[in-house]
Amino acid sequence: MIRIAAVGDLHYGAGSQDILRPSLQHLPGRADLLLLAGDLTRCGGPDEIKILADELRGLPLPVVAVLGNHDYHANREADVRRTLESAQVRVLEGEATALDIDGVRLGIAGTKGFGGGFRGAHGSDFGEPEMKAFVGHTKMLSDRLEHALTALEADLRIALLHYSPIEATLEGERLEIYPFLGSYLLAEAVDNAGADLVLHGHAHHGAEKGRTPAGIPVRNVAQPLIRHAYNIYTLDAHRQVLPAAAGGIS
Amino acid sequence: MSEPRADYLPEAIREKLIHDPRVAEQDLRVEVHEHRVMLGGNVASPQLKQQITEVARELLPRYEIVNETTVVSAAEPDGEEPVL
Repeated sequence: MIRIAAVGDLHYGAGSQDILRPSLQHLPGRADLLLLAGDLTRCGGPDEIKILADELRGLPLPVVAVLGNHDYHANREADVRRTLESAQVRVLEGEATALDIDGVRLGIAGTKGFGGGFRGAHGSDFGEPEMKAFVGHTKMLSDRLEHALTALEADLRIALLHYSPIEATLEGERLEIYPFLGSYLLAEAVDNAGADLVLHGHAHHGAEKGRTPAGIPVRNVAQPLIRHAYNIYTLDAHRQVLPAAAGGIS
Repeated sequence: MSEPRADYLPEAIREKLIHDPRVAEQDLRVEVHEHRVMLGGNVASPQLKQQITEVARELLPRYEIVNETTVVSAAEPDGEEPVL
């Protein structure tokens, strides 16, 4: 049994010191790894990410993260990544990593992802350069996610995102902003490659649970939504998984 | 720059709260009634809640700022969810 702690949208900045630290003390006894689903900082400042990195440094369990839109705001995302890596946090962008936990190989592929909307109402990379760039960014990141997931050789595979791959975990948000909260292209990438769980953040007013069209469970772990330091999900690598068409996994 | 028309005032406040690095929150609810600004949503800390009030007050010193944002818990979860 693999125990995964996950949270996103911590939005660390001045004054955030020790928000997470008290809850991290007991984490090693409760989870096998910690996944961070982006928006780790308020504005992507190196000083902001250092506060979080200092709280994560020395945790006796693996920490894997993707960045979110806030982490790009200061155009210092490379510095944000380096600061996290200096605290032994593995940062993924179109990349994957695998961990051996109690004889189970757990693979994680991650990307920030991006927006565009959902089936029947997705933007197109057509017309102005700005529109091509917007949707083209989502397509590029979704393609990289699919390749990273497909290449993973693991008993269990997780897709770690910031933006949402499905509409169900956005319910509660205003419909008008769905195109800025996620894209079905991310779900298509996950369904094409296969995965056991998808985690994302970004939608503070959304819903916690959903699944992709192929039936893969999706969890929105935005901290303002889950109202805890993290949630914990368990995955049993030995459980028989039914094909999605036959009812999928529960 | 002149003060925005009343019709556009909530958006001007929202823009300020998004772009001021002391706050940088995109998910706050803003309503303006007469000379009262009502702010809602979830925030991570009491300090951030205070900064939201300060930024709004700097923008609109003649308005009453009613900050009803909620500081969300960062406590440990009680249990775990089996997903597979």
